[in-house]
Amino acid sequence: MILSSIFLYVDPGSGSYLVQMIIAAILGALFYFKTLWWRIKSFFTRKKKDEHPGDDQLNG
Amino acid sequence: MADITIHPASFKDPSGFVFHSGEKLYRQVNLSYAKEYDLLMNSGLYTELVRKEYLVTHKEVTGITALEENWYKTIEPENIPFISYPYEWCFLQMRDAALLTLSILKIALSFGMIIKDATPYNIQFLKGKPVFIDTLSFDIYDPSRPWVAYRQFCNMFLFPLYLEFYLKSDIQKIMSAYLDGIPVDITSRMLPLKSGLNLGVWLHVYLQNKVMQTAKGKNERDEFSTKKLLNLVHHLETIIISFSGREPKSEWSRYYQETILGKDYLNEKEKIFTWLLDKVQANAALDLGANDGFFPKIAAARKMQVIAVDYDSRSVNNLYKEVKRSGIENILPLVIDISNPSPAIGFNNRERASFHDRIRAELVIALALIHHLVIGKNISLPVIAHYFAGIAPQLMIEWVPREDEKVQQMLASRKDVFQDYTEAHFELAFKKYFTIQEKIKVTGTHRLMYLMNSIKKAL
Repeated sequence: MILSSIFLYVDPGSGSYLVQMIIAAILGALFYFKTLWWRIKSFFTRKKKDEHPGDDQLNG
Repeated sequence: MADITIHPASFKDPSGFVFHSGEKLYRQVNLSYAKEYDLLMNSGLYTELVRKEYLVTHKEVTGITALEENWYKTIEPENIPFISYPYEWCFLQMRDAALLTLSILKIALSFGMIIKDATPYNIQFLKGKPVFIDTLSFDIYDPSRPWVAYRQFCNMFLFPLYLEFYLKSDIQKIMSAYLDGIPVDITSRMLPLKSGLNLGVWLHVYLQNKVMQTAKGKNERDEFSTKKLLNLVHHLETIIISFSGREPKSEWSRYYQETILGKDYLNEKEKIFTWLLDKVQANAALDLGANDGFFPKIAAARKMQVIAVDYDSRSVNNLYKEVKRSGIENILPLVIDISNPSPAIGFNNRERASFHDRIRAELVIALALIHHLVIGKNISLPVIAHYFAGIAPQLMIEWVPREDEKVQQMLASRKDVFQDYTEAHFELAFKKYFTIQEKIKVTGTHRLMYLMNSIKKAL
């Protein structure tokens, strides 16, 4: 609690930037695998090309 | 100029500030913000946001300057009739404000700008919809940097929504305690363990908390990108959209539909209410204990600006949904507990004004409320009369007598120390401040409807 208050005061960027880097990397990886999975699936099920994986599927 | 006062909440942003001159409100754009302001206006971003009704409109004015040094321009924003604060909003209002912030961020990015802060205090409800009011929030976008306001967005929007969603509890009081938003460590300890199974909670709460604790003072300088930022914003948006399903019933949310007093009572009361409303001279009304907004909607249909408050946030949620669905522009639903309305808080106790300092009403509507204040909250009739007289010159009030079933229910579970709770005492207390213009019995009940005019404003 005290620690986080100090953070707010010292540098609003540090930590928060690192978090965003990590989260963006995880989301990027998830999106990559989702797309990959969709491609494999569509290869076997021969789905129409205009169906894209919805971004909302990313939400866990 | 002699009559200029800088707004007490406008001291944080070096880009400019809000000030009053006479009756009007202006915003000074500082010289240090000239480049950003010009980009906002000339890039087409302002026009686009105004076209979508996302940003409050403004016009540039000449001849009005608050501080000569660092002055670049003075703008006059569109008038917002009533300023409300996030700790007075229901869940859906908070959710819509969060989504608006993210939408504005995405549009700004496409114009080469970004928003440098993400706080619900930059949003107000105008004509039934949230609108962004801080024209000076836009900064020039540097694609190599992450979003400077990410943590603020989490603390101010995402965490309050998560807490309300998972705890199934109103968090207005918590939000008024944490004016800068709820810190991540507090949020992570308050959320139930099972919430960690949700990807969004895991990333934005638990992981963020972990990183914050270990990243002490570290300053990452790795390159970020627009694609990464858009992924992040998209994820936040998806989480917040998915919150739509939280609508448990409350003890009040079907008060009028299921009331033991029934439909006849409601019809009769509606007739009287409409009849009394014809005798009222008011453009702005405050409905205390508005429930699902049945009566505020009647007043709003007559072009009155109505602020409809209730302490039950589910009722307010329902009313807000209805206001949105029907496109009603002149009802603002808010979560307010009349026995403990929003105080003046923030720096010097002047940053956020109290609820009653902000209210400018000409009529107070208080239907089926008085027994809750007297018997439920132990507030005596003279104190209530004084309170109402301090708000507005006209009062429409329903007297719910002792014989009433609702009062009997309330008295059944507690000691009856309310010997003064009689029609005679009620009238005596209110006659100190009001004259009774109309008094009508609601047929089929013991209840009475009054229309009163104040003699003197209570101090």
